[in-house]
Amino acid sequence: MTSKAKILIVDDDVDSVELLTKRLRAEGYHTSEAYDGEQALRQVEEYRPDVVILDIKMPKIDGYEVCRRLKSSEDTRLIPIIMLTVKRKVPDKVKGLDVGADDYIPKPFDYRELSPRVRYWAAVKMEVEERVRKIKRLEQELIDSERLAAIGQTVASLGHYMKNILFGLKGGFYLASTGSKENSTDSLKTGWEMLERNMGRISDLVLDLLEYSTDREPEYENCFPNEIANEVCEHLEAKAKENGVEMIRDFDPSLQEVLLDPKDIHRCLLNLVSNAIDACLFDPDEEKKWVVHVRTVSENDGAVRFEVSDNGCGMDEDVKKKLFTTFFSTKEGRGTGLGLLIAQKIVQEHDGTITVESQVGRGSTFTIRLPHRDGATQRAMVNESHQT
Amino acid sequence: MKKVLLVDDEVDVRKFVSKLVERAGYEVIEAKNGMEGMGRVREDKPGLIILDVLMPKQSGIRMYRELKTTESLKDIPVIMLSAIAPKSFFRSQEVLAEFAGQPVPEPEAYIEKPEEPEELIELMKKILG
Repeated sequence: MTSKAKILIVDDDVDSVELLTKRLRAEGYHTSEAYDGEQALRQVEEYRPDVVILDIKMPKIDGYEVCRRLKSSEDTRLIPIIMLTVKRKVPDKVKGLDVGADDYIPKPFDYRELSPRVRYWAAVKMEVEERVRKIKRLEQELIDSERLAAIGQTVASLGHYMKNILFGLKGGFYLASTGSKENSTDSLKTGWEMLERNMGRISDLVLDLLEYSTDREPEYENCFPNEIANEVCEHLEAKAKENGVEMIRDFDPSLQEVLLDPKDIHRCLLNLVSNAIDACLFDPDEEKKWVVHVRTVSENDGAVRFEVSDNGCGMDEDVKKKLFTTFFSTKEGRGTGLGLLIAQKIVQEHDGTITVESQVGRGSTFTIRLPHRDGATQRAMVNESHQT
Repeated sequence: MKKVLLVDDEVDVRKFVSKLVERAGYEVIEAKNGMEGMGRVREDKPGLIILDVLMPKQSGIRMYRELKTTESLKDIPVIMLSAIAPKSFFRSQEVLAEFAGQPVPEPEAYIEKPEEPEELIELMKKILG
């Protein structure tokens, strides 16, 4: 195998190139040659050698520079370089090794000295290549299997969710039809309501799926983050109260008008606060006094921070890891697993960040940070687009 | 009249299933979660319990474990109701953890949502006679 290796000989001395070429070919190597640094760099690109035999003293770009460039490029750094030079001084050897040469042979040399080194480095190169190929293949396999697992999780989660909807539809249908057969307005009414509610769940699900899968830009508007947070709290107040969860609003009064997409952020917060209430409901600790905390903070650099904390069931590492990567729901068919993914998508579209801290039995805190957006320029852009 | 206790947090499920229980000819008692459910079990002594697996406050799994580990209650038949298939349910971490290594007793029946209404009625009649 190693005898088939490709060797690039770089030397400005035509005679020594010729001699080396002859010797190496006699041993069965493929060879190519370059007579100055620039040509050497081009040849490495084109010929893709397995080993470079490189002279130091050359016109234009010298051997040190060629070596430095090859070793600093991701593409070529694994090609072994054997440096040849007439210089026998230690500092030169050190310099050669410093710029990344793999081996060093002082001129004049006996070919029998060079031959085993070429063989060795060609073998090393092939071994490295083989291993890199193997690693790349394994990496790809890992990515593939992770993706398959994620898809499996998604399908399972959506499947459970749809089963629950289907159950509601069946129930509604059953109640409505027995109601109409038996002339029971009560049963008929309940049945219709159930059908309506579950149709609503399907349309919500479809909207969520499309929202998640479509790329879009936020529609920026001037708005007050505290107002959005307050609306969200009001919307979920009843749900919290009904389930014995106290909701605390802690809004930073210094928070000014900022540019963001109010509908998007509303939706994002709604998902987080709704999840926080659920985390309390699913907390097995019945003694606990559940609290959901919704905070807004104006940061020094003009960024807006929203914090949603709960003291509910919390999450273990495994759940935390899956949170933002798959359609993952711990609510067994009651959640689509889309809520957080959509929240994350919205935050990313705003160039912001979303982070989570959580401890099992202690609760979770989700933090959204939206960077400051220059209001004046954005407003000008909005006006312009209105005129056209 | 024999009593059937229905434990589910979802209003729709309760409305639907309680109608089925009535049609099957039994008296229905409803509870929103496991904690409430256990209270009703002790008070009303139902002949059958239809139990949702995952519920807030106290899950169906915990209530199931309490039922099955209480001498005076362990013979009340239970129909488990869930969107999860029974096989993966009995292998799930949650169930295994709840029973802490003890063997998990099988319920009388396991209903995977969505089930045909008539089948649930048949099932109740078969268990309660």
